[in-house]
Amino acid sequence: MKQETYKKVERMTVAMRSIHWLNATFMVVAVITGLYIGEPYYQTLIAEPAVHKYVMAWNRWWHFIAAIIFDVTSVVIVYLYFFSRFEKPYKKLIPNAHNLNEFGGVFLNLITLNRRKSFDSSHSDSFNTVYFTIFHLLLLFMLFTGLQLYVHGLESGISSIGAWWPWILHVTTDWTIPVTGGNLMTVRIAHHITMWLIIAWVAFHIYYQVWRTIFWEEGDLAIVVGGSKFVKDEK
Amino acid sequence: MGKDTMESVKKLFTTQSAKVDTNRGGEYYTDLYETCRKRLDELKALPVVNNKLDFQQTIMDEGLDRRDFLKWASATTAMLMLPASFTPLVAEAAQVMNRIPVVWIELSDCAGNSEALLRSDGPKIDKIVLDIISLEFHETLQAAAGHQAEKQLEEAIELFKGKYLLFVEGAVPLGMDGQYGTIGAKAETFKDHLLRLASSAAAVIAVGSCATYGGIPAAAPNPTESVGVMDVVSGKPIINIPACPANPANMVGVVLHYVLTGKIPELDSLLRPKFAFGYRIHDNCERRAHFDAGEYVEEWGDNGAKNNFCLYKMGCKGPMTFNNCSIVRYNEAVNWPIGVGRGCIGCSEPDFWDKYAYERPMANANIKAPTGGVERTVDEFGLALLTAAGIGIGIHAVASAVAGKKNSEKDA
Repeated sequence: MKQETYKKVERMTVAMRSIHWLNATFMVVAVITGLYIGEPYYQTLIAEPAVHKYVMAWNRWWHFIAAIIFDVTSVVIVYLYFFSRFEKPYKKLIPNAHNLNEFGGVFLNLITLNRRKSFDSSHSDSFNTVYFTIFHLLLLFMLFTGLQLYVHGLESGISSIGAWWPWILHVTTDWTIPVTGGNLMTVRIAHHITMWLIIAWVAFHIYYQVWRTIFWEEGDLAIVVGGSKFVKDEK
Repeated sequence: MGKDTMESVKKLFTTQSAKVDTNRGGEYYTDLYETCRKRLDELKALPVVNNKLDFQQTIMDEGLDRRDFLKWASATTAMLMLPASFTPLVAEAAQVMNRIPVVWIELSDCAGNSEALLRSDGPKIDKIVLDIISLEFHETLQAAAGHQAEKQLEEAIELFKGKYLLFVEGAVPLGMDGQYGTIGAKAETFKDHLLRLASSAAAVIAVGSCATYGGIPAAAPNPTESVGVMDVVSGKPIINIPACPANPANMVGVVLHYVLTGKIPELDSLLRPKFAFGYRIHDNCERRAHFDAGEYVEEWGDNGAKNNFCLYKMGCKGPMTFNNCSIVRYNEAVNWPIGVGRGCIGCSEPDFWDKYAYERPMANANIKAPTGGVERTVDEFGLALLTAAGIGIGIHAVASAVAGKKNSEKDA
């Protein structure tokens, strides 16, 4: 067996890793509180007057805080897709011959159980980037439908930060009503179903990272912790 | 979705909020006052159309006094979001309502909105006001029948061309060339009937959810392909007063606004008057504190129900429904659905029968899965999706463990 040498490749900057763990944490918060808002699954059996309990209100508070953090990181991520000085993911989304080829190669390798690993795995490949883009689109859809549901409570047209806020929410999110089926309830149903799509996305995401670490033997799981992985030096 | 859907989408994009500017400045209201004053004087000069009931006399006969009437007038002024100085005008407008001819037609309906007008707990002002409007034609209420009734309708259209308010109750079936609903000896379809009457009306007022969005006749699978008035009529001012039944207070509000100003009130993107549908039920609900506290009725008749807890877990759709019934209530403010201990079913929203009225929280609703046809709950669908992903992952993982090739093996 010949001596293997590895070279270290940087994959995620500190900012990217911070956003990842922030998103991961608040996604758990959003799902737990969101399920409660969808159907309050535990009872409030505290012998206190209603005004002291505030259980649904706290669930909604955490849900909105999680949502607004998502909204802000989404804006940052959209920016990074195009202007990151580190790696510009949009370049991997353009359906040119190289990207299509790479996407096919990585996908075939996945379904043939790592028998065709002939692509360059040192950078974020096209398959990976497309997969992450799907996630960001789902998150963006949650952002718009969620803010639409939120603005229903601001029907007075005023808010703590001014009238511009409900106005801008209506301008940017009212399209979700006709797109999801024509009424406020369909927006809510779409918001709820998309949660399940995101959970399914996360399930595969975690699996795929672990699988890559085991079968590629390049320490892929370390990317999100230390920011780098190791690829075999073919020299 | 009908032909006016694009219009509604456009409106959705331009809508700012359900908010009505309740203070437009002294100059605006002075002008409006002058306009209304002039219009009322003009109306007063007109001969009484048909209904010879004297308003004052009717009120007395019903055992109410002038004080009740004035209380009603100031409440209605507030509801229409006009300054208190308009109260005498509103009172006057109520008395000249018999100068405005009204034609009321029924299509695919249950006459529930007519019932709502007639069967309040006692004859109160709203009802009396609607008694003295000059109702030229109303299938359920009129004495005439058959050819007589048809003749009366023809005469009313001819006599009040371009002047009458057309109230429509019920959905318009479009399937099978509209043959699901016909009226009269000539078997005129509901659609033709509506279009003919709308073409010579001053404005069309769709009363109730069926006339507004198709309502229950349009519920899935909608075999008659029913739609609302706004999907059929175009080129006329349309006002929607949804809810099942529409609240008589809102009907009176719309008619009064028209009598008073000669204009239709400010409407939202679904053509509903903002003075009535600019409020979310949830935000004015007397049980809102229990919602925030997480105190819910778990089943009918439990301790929560006895203590007036929130009905959200029993499927109350107040958080997604815009209407003023949590404020004005029904039957002359006697009570309303949540007040009697059952949830809101969102009856003033589009598609309410399919998307709101299932009396369970949305996450537990039997709505159609995106594949169509099969009834699945949202959560079951989501869980099925997750299970499918899990099984896929599992198969891939096992296959990888058994037959997968590690890079090191390849090199070895």
